[in-house]
Amino acid sequence: MTEKISVRNLKFFYGATLALKGISIPLYANKVTAFIGPSGCGKSTLLRVLNRMYDLYPGQRAEGEVIFDGKNILEPGQDLNLLRARVGMVFQKPTPFPMTIYENIAFGLKLYENLSKSELDGRVEDALKRAALWTEVKDKLGANGLSLSGGQQQRLCIARTVAIRPEVILFDEPCSALDPISTAKIEELIDELKHDYTIAIVTHNMQQAARVSERTAFMYLGELIEFGETSKIFTAPSDPRTQDYITGRFG
Amino acid sequence: MSDHTVRAYDDELMEIGRKITEMGGIAETMLTHAIEALVKGDTELAQRVIATDPKLDALEREIEEKAILTIARRQPMAIDLRALVSAIRIASDIERIGDLAKNVGKRVVAMDGQFAPQKIVGGVVHISDLALERLHRVLDAYAHRDVAAALDVWEHDEEIDQLYNSLFRELLTYMMEDPRNIGFCAHLLFSTKNIERIGDHATNIAETIHYLVTGEAIVADRPRNADAYTPLTTG
Repeated sequence: MTEKISVRNLKFFYGATLALKGISIPLYANKVTAFIGPSGCGKSTLLRVLNRMYDLYPGQRAEGEVIFDGKNILEPGQDLNLLRARVGMVFQKPTPFPMTIYENIAFGLKLYENLSKSELDGRVEDALKRAALWTEVKDKLGANGLSLSGGQQQRLCIARTVAIRPEVILFDEPCSALDPISTAKIEELIDELKHDYTIAIVTHNMQQAARVSERTAFMYLGELIEFGETSKIFTAPSDPRTQDYITGRFG
Repeated sequence: MSDHTVRAYDDELMEIGRKITEMGGIAETMLTHAIEALVKGDTELAQRVIATDPKLDALEREIEEKAILTIARRQPMAIDLRALVSAIRIASDIERIGDLAKNVGKRVVAMDGQFAPQKIVGGVVHISDLALERLHRVLDAYAHRDVAAALDVWEHDEEIDQLYNSLFRELLTYMMEDPRNIGFCAHLLFSTKNIERIGDHATNIAETIHYLVTGEAIVADRPRNADAYTPLTTG
């Protein structure tokens, strides 16, 4: 299995606070890796390092290595816009832009690429199809993105991410604000998307981690406690702390 | 299994564990009484064994229902999930053990005081003692989540198989000696087979305990005597 991203001895600081205490973990290409752990364990922090989102905030810094296709993205002199185009992110709360459905997707494309109108139309349609939203919105592409339901908005955000053809997609609790049907649609989508992308997902929903991922990482207090095949983690984990957490025995 | 954040979850799991223990106790008593009835030709005691069986059936259904409800309600993971799946499996094995003890009871009723020499009944008692001891130990291993004890039961199944084999030959010899022996010998043969099967279920339970505690199935081949199941042509 190819390691699309290799995190090596990653330390992360919020000012003086050490939030990640030397994490090493691979993200395998075309696989879904789930990150679980109690609030504050560092899973979202780790995700934010993978596309250097933290750079937007002063006082936050990372040490160690994040090797992405052979290059350490933590080194200075990175083209962060390019990095964030290659490593897309979907957030907990759907965040459509206050513009039309069409423009929500075309916006990012126009920033990165110089496309003709017909090419642009094709890419928007393709992205909406990949996000399993096309049939629901194809007759109202001019409607405001905010007029969609929560589940549709989240799929619109996924379409926006997919449109610029990233290599890795990071999901930070993508379904926590969605109803079970919308959740199922997103999960089905993740299952489809992994054929083309490498996926990391942070979730508080254990069953969701068990359903969508091939690998699961359990983090606690800034440390990676256990990483392994999802089927093993949820039936017979090795570390007693993993077991306590996933069975609901944590204090 | 305790210390869930949600305490009602602990209660549900413990309740299921208690019911398994109850089933185990009933099955042990059924087997003890069935053998006692066989030795003494006590048809009344045998009837009581037969009458006890529905209780085990009801308990098995109850355990299954409770386990399914807990799965639906709690979406158990890891050790809890294994505990529930194991409970369903073990309840089913104990229910079968009860059926087999009941079958011995039915044989006693059918024999209805037919002459059976104590020497040969002694052999049946011996295999039953072994089966009872294994059943007792495996239920103990379950109560204590003791893999080593479960493995010990699992590894020694061939003792019962061998004993069954030798009893089988002995009964054939009696039948050949005198056709009048055929009736009770056939009954004893079926009883012995039932008891040997109880040993197999004890082995199943040992395997389930191993899975329950370690999360892994036992992979090694069980030591097995090649002629444990002697074909009928022997002798």
